[in-house]
Amino acid sequence: MRYYLLVCRSLTYAQRAQRALSSAGITARLVRTAQDTRQEGCGYSLKIGESALEKALAVLEAAGVPPRSLQTVLPDGTVTEGKR
Amino acid sequence: MIYLDNAATTFQKPRDVYKAVKTALETMTSPGRGGHDTAMAAAEAAYDCREKAAALFGVPDPANVVFTFNATHGLNLAIHSVVRPGMRVAVSGYEHNAVVRPLIAAGAKVDVATSALFEPEMIAAAFERKLDAGAEAVVVNHVSNVFGYILPVERIAAMCRERGVPFILDASQSAGCLPVDMQALGAAFIAMPGHKGLYGPQGSGLLLCGAETLPLLHGGSGTDSMAGAMPAYLPDRLEAGTHNMPGIAGLSAGLDFVRLAGPQHILETEKELIACMADGLMMIPGVRVYASEHGFAQAGVLSFTVRGVAPETVAAALNEAGIAVRAGLHCAPFAHRSADTLPEGTVRASVSVFTRKKDVTALIGAVRAVVMKN
Repeated sequence: MRYYLLVCRSLTYAQRAQRALSSAGITARLVRTAQDTRQEGCGYSLKIGESALEKALAVLEAAGVPPRSLQTVLPDGTVTEGKR
Repeated sequence: MIYLDNAATTFQKPRDVYKAVKTALETMTSPGRGGHDTAMAAAEAAYDCREKAAALFGVPDPANVVFTFNATHGLNLAIHSVVRPGMRVAVSGYEHNAVVRPLIAAGAKVDVATSALFEPEMIAAAFERKLDAGAEAVVVNHVSNVFGYILPVERIAAMCRERGVPFILDASQSAGCLPVDMQALGAAFIAMPGHKGLYGPQGSGLLLCGAETLPLLHGGSGTDSMAGAMPAYLPDRLEAGTHNMPGIAGLSAGLDFVRLAGPQHILETEKELIACMADGLMMIPGVRVYASEHGFAQAGVLSFTVRGVAPETVAAALNEAGIAVRAGLHCAPFAHRSADTLPEGTVRASVSVFTRKKDVTALIGAVRAVVMKN
């Protein structure tokens, strides 16, 4: 099943974003960024299902904690930058 | 033992603090170091602590709550971030060496706003003169660690805001019992220990950040690992290396305790004990007590001297009687210069919310015995 990673600039930032999503009723799991496509080193992301993606992005934008980037993880485990 | 050295470290902690420390040792590693359960448990506990501190101290973003080893570490970071060689920095005449030494090391011109003890109007006016004369930063303690003197930091901060001068607060003796609000003060930085009025373990502390920061330690931050420099964002920028999770978890439990007890209640309890202590000690011939009239400008710390007996001798005798106090200069020579208690300093008794009236009564009796013996 396809899911998305909202890549955050730091662990604390990701936690703040996670709280904002939780307040909006959206469950997002905090995970290590699966693949460092930007080659910046280790990082943290919020894992989110396809159905909640658009609302989650809007909530994070409104809360002032937008993700640094978005990754799509396909059912076969392939990670791509952006929404697929 | 009767413990009356709470201005150094609160020795009696809430039960939940001990439990939290143990749980952290058993279940957590360090935030940002992996995605496994122990790292994520640490991450959750650390963020939880940041959120609690942000709520208690008026910090809009929990990311601006940085973990330190103690207040000294936080003050070093703050001063390193703000002060440049040759900068004129105004301080009170009651500062701890945790303020004075980093300023000297940074090459600052330390400008002391002198005033008598327990005279808030006088010290506010002294700071105003320093600022009008061109002070470029202010570093001040909220409460003197020697005399318990509560400085009018809200007024001093307001003067700094009006002039656009960075204001750094040492909240070592006030965090947990006096209002400390980052936003209201408009402070550049506020440093505080975890192990005093927040009832956390030794080796924990907080730095609340409201200005540009400059790291003192460089190393692993768990993120942006390809970069050669520390990250530009907080808290990672100032938190190189593995976190003190037992300390942070214990501090988090201490913050819960303070919030539930209420800083105002804690202050009132401590003030009552100090007033009782001052009244009792003043009745003993040859004992000089440094007390604020009606206790209005004094928190849970009291200094006294015994005529003809060195403070260290008094403290040693009290220790023999099972009472822990601190004697000497308390790492604050400025304060003793201001109060004219150099070179030997004072005996300091300091209370916490766990101190009982009978502890104070025992101290008074033991000091009386020291006087009688000498």
